[in-house]
Amino acid sequence: MSLLQAVMVSKHFGGVRALDEVTLTLAPGEVHGLIGPNGSGKTTLLNMLSGYYAPDGGQIVLDGEAVTALSVRQRARMGLARTFQKPRLLGDLGVLDNAMVGAWRDAPGSFVASALVLPFVRRKESELRARARELVLGVGLGHAMDRPVSLLEHAEQRFLEIARALASRPRFLLLDEPAGGLTAAEIGHLEAVISTIRDAGIGVLLVEHHTDFVFRLCSSVTTLDRGTVIAQGSPAAVRSDPEVNRVYLGA
Amino acid sequence: MRPAIAVVVLAALAALPEWATNQYDIHLATLIGVYWVLIAGLNLVVGYSGQLSIGHVGLLAIGAYAYAILAGTYDWPPYVAMLAAGGVGGVCGLLLGLTSLRLPGFYFAMATLAFSLIVSELSLALGDLTGGGIGLPVPGFPPPAASPAGFYWLVLIVASLITLLTWNVARGMWGRALLAVRDSPVAAAGAGISIFRSKLTVFVFSSITAGIGGALFAALQSYITPETFAFDIGLFFFVCIIIGGRGSIVGPLLGTVVLTALPEAVAPLARLGNFFYGLLLLVVVLLLPEGIGPLIAGLLARFTRRSKPLSHVVQPDLDRLRAALAQARP
Repeated sequence: MSLLQAVMVSKHFGGVRALDEVTLTLAPGEVHGLIGPNGSGKTTLLNMLSGYYAPDGGQIVLDGEAVTALSVRQRARMGLARTFQKPRLLGDLGVLDNAMVGAWRDAPGSFVASALVLPFVRRKESELRARARELVLGVGLGHAMDRPVSLLEHAEQRFLEIARALASRPRFLLLDEPAGGLTAAEIGHLEAVISTIRDAGIGVLLVEHHTDFVFRLCSSVTTLDRGTVIAQGSPAAVRSDPEVNRVYLGA
Repeated sequence: MRPAIAVVVLAALAALPEWATNQYDIHLATLIGVYWVLIAGLNLVVGYSGQLSIGHVGLLAIGAYAYAILAGTYDWPPYVAMLAAGGVGGVCGLLLGLTSLRLPGFYFAMATLAFSLIVSELSLALGDLTGGGIGLPVPGFPPPAASPAGFYWLVLIVASLITLLTWNVARGMWGRALLAVRDSPVAAAGAGISIFRSKLTVFVFSSITAGIGGALFAALQSYITPETFAFDIGLFFFVCIIIGGRGSIVGPLLGTVVLTALPEAVAPLARLGNFFYGLLLLVVVLLLPEGIGPLIAGLLARFTRRSKPLSHVVQPDLDRLRAALAQARP
């Protein structure tokens, strides 16, 4: 079975224990919420799942195989995609071109063939452009298709990051605070988009502070506090957990 | 750029020997073309992948000596020698890139600087091959490229082909990937782009074009010595791209034309030499940090831009998203 797992993962930064033996499983077609106070290790865990940090202990497992030693790039090519807390788009390019960057995995890698624009390069290029265009339209940025990214507002950048991630045909999508800075209406759109992504069979990890949003959308939720898992399970169980209420939700 | 515009520009350039008033204009145009052969490739390295190579003059020298030695000392056919010079440049660029492209920006720039100094010293020291400080005579190309106008056309053809290659790269997936490597390595890796491999690929490409440019440069000069390849030429290439604007092809092309021709056209500027380049660089960096390319693009956009206020309303189309996701299965 296709699963993305963190198994007993630990990470120290100097003397600070950012994560301590954290275990988490993400299955296809589910949205898994990851919540907790600032500094509890949510983004650190996401960075280890996608490969930006190497864990000091434990393993990252994809489809039953340890991928702990693989680079960000290798994991991306295996079907892991992510967005960033602070959107990282390319300011010199337009919306569609930014989304196309995500499709690099399927691009003809040969530099020589690209320089000569061989027929198969041209074909692939228009195929990837069509894919990116549909995704940009799908997440709701059709009005800005050819606009330079520098003219986008914050919410538009967040949705574009999702379109770019989807352009890589991911099996697992890791979203780092996608609702940050969004209006209520935009969070509603985001929820619909994530549900659609989930229904397409993609496993979504949702790092988020908007807990109502998380509890509505997720089938399971993990709560971190100071690097350890304090609750893991269904939204209802986590929401009523006394420890979660004490350190985070503030009953 | 529309193909039609490119055809008109090319036709005008091809007709240059017809309307040039003296031989020197043709020589100058040829020199611009030769420089552009190198700068077009270097532009992918500096302007697109964001690697600050200031030592490409070393690769130019390697190509020039390779051509002079192969076509002169060993009597190879000049066209074969020119391609071989590109190959030698590419191999040297591969070795330089493999060892230095993992260094962060400033240190990479220093490594390329060191490389060009080493090449300069070697060209002095290996007197049996290079003629040492005395230098080497360089054979020209056979007719029809033997006359100044013929050689100009040859350079025009080579420069156009290389421009076309870089144009194709820049506007395709590779161009997007290179800009991602330049502006957001973190996002590039997240998209599965190999940062080192892409940097190395364009660096080797630029080394091949530098080698070919070196062969043409040597043939144009007809005599080369180590002093022909002073370090400030390497800086000049770099400045042409920065003044032209990063992430553009037309900008650095204009930069090359202006920076090569202006000191020749305006005599007092020629006397100022490097002072002029320094001043121009300072003005551009202070007033137009994006370079002249984006400035021109911005002016064009001002004429075509609609005055309609921009909408920022995100309105997902879920059916479309569903279809797109089904189309692009994992």
